Amino acid sequence: MRMPESAYVLAVYHRQFVVFKKLIGSSLVSNVANPILFLFAFGFGMGSFIDTMSGMSYLTFVVAGMIAYSAAFAASFETTIGSFTRYFMQKNWDAVLSTPVTLFELLLGEVFWASAKALFSAVCVLIVGWIWGGVPLSFLPLVTLPIVFLGSICFACAGLVATAYAKGYEFFAYFFTFWVTPMFVFCGVFFDISRFPEIIQYLAWFFPMTHLVAAIRPLTAVTPLDGAAIALHICYIIVFSAASFWIAYRRLHQRLYD
Amino acid sequence: MENTAVITATKLNKRYGALEVVRGIDFTVPAGQCFGLLGPNGAGKSTTMRMIMGLSQITAGELTVFGEPANNMPRNIKAKIGLVPQDNNLDPDISVLENLKAFGRYFALPSTVIDARAKELLEFMQLTERKFAPVNALSGGMQRRLTIARALIGDPEMVILDEPTTGLDPQARVLIWKQLTELKKDGRTLLLTTHYMDEAQRLCDQIVIIDNGEILDQGTPKELISRHVKGFVFEVQKPGLAASAAERWDQEDIGDSVLYFVNDTAEFIADLPEESIYLHRPANLEDVFLRLTGRKLREN
Repeated sequence: MRMPESAYVLAVYHRQFVVFKKLIGSSLVSNVANPILFLFAFGFGMGSFIDTMSGMSYLTFVVAGMIAYSAAFAASFETTIGSFTRYFMQKNWDAVLSTPVTLFELLLGEVFWASAKALFSAVCVLIVGWIWGGVPLSFLPLVTLPIVFLGSICFACAGLVATAYAKGYEFFAYFFTFWVTPMFVFCGVFFDISRFPEIIQYLAWFFPMTHLVAAIRPLTAVTPLDGAAIALHICYIIVFSAASFWIAYRRLHQRLYD
Repeated sequence: MENTAVITATKLNKRYGALEVVRGIDFTVPAGQCFGLLGPNGAGKSTTMRMIMGLSQITAGELTVFGEPANNMPRNIKAKIGLVPQDNNLDPDISVLENLKAFGRYFALPSTVIDARAKELLEFMQLTERKFAPVNALSGGMQRRLTIARALIGDPEMVILDEPTTGLDPQARVLIWKQLTELKKDGRTLLLTTHYMDEAQRLCDQIVIIDNGEILDQGTPKELISRHVKGFVFEVQKPGLAASAAERWDQEDIGDSVLYFVNDTAEFIADLPEESIYLHRPANLEDVFLRLTGRKLREN
């Protein structure tokens, strides 16, 4: 395999950016409107029943979860439905692979783009959350962004695994049902996972989402930090990313080359 | 034109499990020529093309492209090749111009070079007026021209064209032929597959005819014609066939009529009964192709 070079990864990234620029309006609207709706419904609706959760206001609690979830959803969507369309329907990947770009670089470009888009979603939630009063005025919440970016890389890589095995769009129903939805409900987005039976808790820690939420919540809420725990969560996310990228690369190599 | 080989295949073999699709073929594509790879569906053309592009691993034998093994092509060699695939696979999410620019970036070209080349190529393929159009708004012929322009953005030394004019109207085909001839004049090597024998005869300097993964014959169009179908073809309707014994004329029974391949037309006409109904024309590459690969229909 040739050593990946950034110029080729950026070329793939840039193509996505060109498409994104055309759709920036709708993208901004959905990325800003979605968290407003969620934060409104949960922050006010649920929040009025709940005084505090894990020692913070419910709005503050849920902002961290929503940041992680919106990043997870954006990254997952991009490397499943988006990548599969380019790969399988548009045959765009065949075109790219006829140029000096390697499959490794193509996939890195896809992952970095998906992560950038996910980070954009997360920033929108962070800003909305801050305006809404769920994020204290501090520089600490900004520290979440590189962590969210790492988490997004992880979700993008996991999505790519689904794309690598998908034969049609139907396949992604399984991916969203058994991967994305559990991340929404079992990984600490809306409530502390300590409420679950122990076995569910163990399962929850398998999902990188749980680690991401746990890593960023003290930062967005500006509560006392456990640096070692955060480092451990980040390590898990990195290992998970590398493993899923490798699986996706292997499988796609088999499918695209014969 | 220098006579160095751009592609050399030696006992090239490709097997998918038990299925042998390319069975030890040898050919050489010389620099600066248009080389035609002809064969019916399923002959092994596309597999051979994929191996040349490094998209398909070779099973046995050797295949070098610009002197490097196709199995493990260095990036600078890959950059010397432009591919026009059978299906256009243009990027439908972006415009004509953006398609060219995106491809330029896949070749890691500086943006000033990309802009200059994109402008030239739009002119060359007569797409300048449609440069801001989305790809889906283009006609089939325009999409094909854009796919060719896209293959040229890296200023390739070799252009591989997989059925470049299939499905196009005569005007579009003529324009593409003209521009391909221009590319050859620039000294570029062209590797072409096509089902149109008139196209191959017009464009190709060298032709290889393959079927069932084997080379049936190779040579210039002229050589192939004189070797297999002589100079002229008479299609004579039954029953008014030539009077002489069957051995005298090179012939092929095609059902309702018989094809005769002859050098001397006057001599042959003299051998036909008065009442014969026949068509008479110069022999062409299509006759060679059908003679070598047979007339049986090939399904994919």
